[in-house]
Amino acid sequence: MHILHISGAITLLAGSIFLVLGALGVVRMPDPFNRIQAGTKATTLGTILVMSGLGMLHPSWLPKLFILIFFIVITNPISSHVLARVMHNLQVPLWSKKDQLSEEEE
Amino acid sequence: MLKKLFALILIGGLGLIFFQLYNQRSRREGLTKTASYYTEKGPAETRSANIVTSVVVTYRGLDTLGEVTILFAAASIIGFFLKRSEKGSKDKTIRNQSSELLQTGSMLLVPLIFLLGIYVFVNGHLSPGGGFQGGAIIASGTVLAFLANPSFEGGRTLIHILESLSGMFYVGIGVAGIFLAAGFLDNRIFPTGNVGSFISAGAIPVIYSIIGLKVGAELSAILYSLRDTKEQQ
Amino acid sequence: MLPVLLTILVIIMLLGGLLAVEHKSLLIGVISAGLVSLTASIIYVILAAPDVAMTEAAIGSGLSTVMFLYVLRRIKGDSNA
Repeated sequence: MHILHISGAITLLAGSIFLVLGALGVVRMPDPFNRIQAGTKATTLGTILVMSGLGMLHPSWLPKLFILIFFIVITNPISSHVLARVMHNLQVPLWSKKDQLSEEEE
Repeated sequence: MLKKLFALILIGGLGLIFFQLYNQRSRREGLTKTASYYTEKGPAETRSANIVTSVVVTYRGLDTLGEVTILFAAASIIGFFLKRSEKGSKDKTIRNQSSELLQTGSMLLVPLIFLLGIYVFVNGHLSPGGGFQGGAIIASGTVLAFLANPSFEGGRTLIHILESLSGMFYVGIGVAGIFLAAGFLDNRIFPTGNVGSFISAGAIPVIYSIIGLKVGAELSAILYSLRDTKEQQ
Repeated sequence: MLPVLLTILVIIMLLGGLLAVEHKSLLIGVISAGLVSLTASIIYVILAAPDVAMTEAAIGSGLSTVMFLYVLRRIKGDSNA
């Protein structure tokens, strides 16, 4: 019981640290593609960690939290993918001059 | 410049009025007469676990009918003014095909969103939520289907059938209340079970399901007509 | 604790409303109007009105934002104009 409490609190803290880092990345990163990485990858992990921490603190919430994690795992990567695709279609300029993904050889 | 000055004066005046109201308010002890009737007699009379639902559907059911009518009028007016593009021209416009990931994900998510909406309005007498919320959730599922597949056509006839039938059944149940129970939209035309069980509260779950289908169909119809309008040049 | 939280949320709401009115880009205006609705729905949950909060979250911040975006695209609203 006690161990579960402490580990839950640590997981919650780690999750919130990831969320803060994600928010910082959205502000600090130089171009939209990099901001997506910060805004979705970090928040996906952060939210999953927060949910698991809550599940350790309140074991009776676990089923609902699993459903929430399931939805976040599905929707967050899809939304990141769609954003990146739209920006690629709109030809948003990259921060680095060299496009590493471009098909033609430099 | 003058416009900004007027706006500032207006905002300042509104702020003064609200500040006066805030200063003069006093903490009310107990409920008003109507509110105390609803909270004391509501569960016993309607057998609904959610008092808000019993007020919205039964005591003030006529207002809800009015709201649904307003929504119907809004959907009809939008459908009337936004002319549908001709069949031929629509096929010519090349819609950007969305990616396979989004289509697959939405195929997984849209039925679950519909399921959530149906759960919300079917359980309106037990848990927070009800017809309007459930209908809005269903319409947001339709939005996802549109975004994932811009030429999505499913359910257009179903929407029109639901839109018409649910309005008719709503009024029909209301009129049945006049003959079988105390008055228009009385929920005691069906046997009222125990408070808190799924089949309880008489006609409230039925009426709320009808409202949910109606709201979901109206909002989806608005989205359909917004999507299918001719592109302005 | 509760008054502090409410004050923060109301300030976010006010800033969102100001941004929605004052910002040049219509797209950002629509999205900040959605932010106002979302904050209002959080306030409703805190003030123990989950029914209203669900309506506000689903219609105010979800559907009406999407409808505004549809209309913006229809009238070819230049987001930078």
